[in-house]
Amino acid sequence: MVFPNGTVALKEANLEVAPGEFISLIGPSGCGKTTLLRLLADLIQPTSGQIRIGGKSPEEARKSRAYGYVFQAPTLMEWRTVLANVMLPLEIMGFPGPERRARAEKMLALVGLEKFARHYPWQLSGGMQQRVSIARALAFDPQLLFMDEPFGALDEITRENLNLELLRLWRETGKTIVFVTHSIPEAVFLSTRIVVMTPRPGKIETVIPVDLPQPRTFETRETTRFFELATAVREALRKGHGYEVAE
Amino acid sequence: MRISPNLLPMLVVALVVLALYWPIMYLVNIPVAQRALDTGAALPCQTAFECASQLRSPVLPSPQQLWGGFVSLMFPLDSPNAIPLNAAVTALETLVGLLLATLVGLFFAVGIVASRAFERALLPWIVASQTVPIIAIAPMLVVVLGQYGVQGWIPKAIIAAYIAFFPITIGIAKGLQSPDPLALDLMKTYNAGSWQTYLKLRFPASVPYLFTAFKVAMTAALIGAIVAEISTISFQGIGKMLAENSRASDVVAMWVIMLASAALGIFLVAMVGWLERLLTPWRRAQVAPRPKARVAGREVGA
Amino acid sequence: MKGWSLLVMGFALQIAFIVRWWKEVEVAPLGLRLLIALGVLLLGVGLARVAAQFAHARNPLLGFTPAALTLLALLVTAEALLRAYQVPPGLVPTPTRVVATLHGVRDVLLQDAYQTVLKEALVGYLIGCSLGVLTAFLVSRYLFLERGFLPYATLFSSIPIVALAPVLVKMVGIDWPSKAAICAITVYFPVVVNTFRGLTEVSPMSLDLMRSYAASEVQQYRWLRLPNALPFIFNALKLGTTLAMIGAIVGEFFGANGQGLGFRIQIEAGRFGFDIVWAAIIVASAVGIAWYGLVAWVERRLTGWHVSFRNG
Repeated sequence: MVFPNGTVALKEANLEVAPGEFISLIGPSGCGKTTLLRLLADLIQPTSGQIRIGGKSPEEARKSRAYGYVFQAPTLMEWRTVLANVMLPLEIMGFPGPERRARAEKMLALVGLEKFARHYPWQLSGGMQQRVSIARALAFDPQLLFMDEPFGALDEITRENLNLELLRLWRETGKTIVFVTHSIPEAVFLSTRIVVMTPRPGKIETVIPVDLPQPRTFETRETTRFFELATAVREALRKGHGYEVAE
Repeated sequence: MRISPNLLPMLVVALVVLALYWPIMYLVNIPVAQRALDTGAALPCQTAFECASQLRSPVLPSPQQLWGGFVSLMFPLDSPNAIPLNAAVTALETLVGLLLATLVGLFFAVGIVASRAFERALLPWIVASQTVPIIAIAPMLVVVLGQYGVQGWIPKAIIAAYIAFFPITIGIAKGLQSPDPLALDLMKTYNAGSWQTYLKLRFPASVPYLFTAFKVAMTAALIGAIVAEISTISFQGIGKMLAENSRASDVVAMWVIMLASAALGIFLVAMVGWLERLLTPWRRAQVAPRPKARVAGREVGA
Repeated sequence: MKGWSLLVMGFALQIAFIVRWWKEVEVAPLGLRLLIALGVLLLGVGLARVAAQFAHARNPLLGFTPAALTLLALLVTAEALLRAYQVPPGLVPTPTRVVATLHGVRDVLLQDAYQTVLKEALVGYLIGCSLGVLTAFLVSRYLFLERGFLPYATLFSSIPIVALAPVLVKMVGIDWPSKAAICAITVYFPVVVNTFRGLTEVSPMSLDLMRSYAASEVQQYRWLRLPNALPFIFNALKLGTTLAMIGAIVGEFFGANGQGLGFRIQIEAGRFGFDIVWAAIIVASAVGIAWYGLVAWVERRLTGWHVSFRNG
């Protein structure tokens, strides 16, 4: 992946994701993890290389609405109520009226915000807004969910709660999730596999499988295995750009 | 209903201004009255002080005169020479002009947002027009339109539209470009067509910008309509009243019409604000009182 | 470079027609009119292509090229069409005629501009701006004034100045001070409102910082509120240039002592001297843009640190 101005954003990125997996892409800023996700989502196009999503190219996958995308920011439409925001993709994709409503209500219940259906986004906290945006991504029931640092702007406590909730959603819906983060505990806690990426040019350093038992709880974070895995990720990150320390 | 904390101070200021007006009025009118008495003009009063509040061409009209003028110009409500009917005509011209400007502005704004070439070719001129007294074109435009048989209230509305067009176009274009790039990406992940992106994202996002532009454009359009009315033969409108009374040197009437036009301008802009609150319910509390940073020491209770 | 060749062909066609029809007094035959239409088409397509080439130009001068070409194309087309259909100059004068008039009556227009701009608009502008900034300082300092006076200042911006003009002309007289008064009043209120916002919309953290330095109120204004207000003040000053020009011109519609751009426009529009009207409008526009540009230049010098000047 080379940007028009010649910057090489991603060099070696070979990765295969199986259905039902929870994959985290972790790395420092500028390692190309967001770029990789945007490539998968066909928001940008690769200069070389190949991406297949369930046998389709990213463009075909996007056009057949195969995935939901959750951005760093909630990007809710401020003129729509919470319910109407969740219905937005359904309107665009031409779902019939009654079904739109039923689905949106179900999704809001799934993220525990059914009481806020009539509220406007500004009346919700940042964490609640991000939950709405997750409900919106799930509303049209895509098999695949791309999440780009969705909890990056939230405080640690909210983030841990939402991590737990996301895992519950993942278990209940059986989606495949590709999750970008720069938090080591978050990656370890959520993922079935962690893809460690390093910068300049961005490449995949290593892939670490996470064998923590499911379902994971608050206590999972306090187990020895959790710390071991976190240490493994940290070391992989350090190895990838040791020169960074000298800077 | 909560009473605004501004109300009392505003009343006090209004009273102070009124209290100052009275002596100032006498101060500037007495010399004029004295001169009139000296030249032996037939006046229904003996002393300069008495006459100061009854002059036909006062420097500042007295409150009694203003009130008298107000009553005679307001009633009967449907008289062709009274303010209500004329103000309604001018308001209609302004509003039709605004509507017209919005339609044309929408077209141009979409062009500017959709095509970089269009933007490069036209936007600089639309922006430059904001720094130019475009009102200067009104007297000519109204005469030219008259030559082509466009008469009555329509040319005034066209001029109002012409004046309002530039701020409205810029406002809508800004609004259409206001969505977050992430929101545009979101629409792309839904594989939304460009028409859907306009309908669901760009148009709603531009509504607040449209209203902001309306507030500026409304006053400008009103000025345009009035200037158009005075620049040609008009049978109705605030501009016609202004021109007539200006020619007749009826100072009191001019004051009353000035106050009435001020009220009309404030009313029209207030209508925009009201419509804005009605149509953008999601912003109602968002634009609530901003946190005020006051002068240090005050709230510390020094 | 295909857009350029289309553009050149379009211009050539229009100019050739204009030269050919320079002295004719009849409506051009259908064939020639079709040629003009072809020229318009070429210009349109050429402009679109050329503008697309410049779409991502960084240099402001290059970025402006398509706009300049558009104006040029519009002028040439207007000239050609007006000549082809023999539109009487009493209705719409051709651009060349306007330019000739502009040159012909330049002494008169310069005097008009001197009266309108340097006496009326500039004097009113300076008075209105300085009073406005002064008032804003007072209003920002005293809560009572903020509550009692500021709402009126906001209301005043929605008042049509035309209604003010006849009264002030009657009161102050037909000479230039009455128009200066109109300009001062129209400029005053936006300056008050904007300056006030700049003085008070200071980040609470900066205020805390000032407090931690035990800064006096004067120091607080000097080091925090005034710099913070500068971008706001300049916005009002820029807006004020346009308002002052409008105020002076509209004011002259209601009475002037035989001089002034507004007076000229009013008089000549009434007697169908539209070439002079256009010439006066060009002068007014040029002055308006130049004045605005001057204030914007000063702003750049003084507030170069502000976000709005950071790019890329």
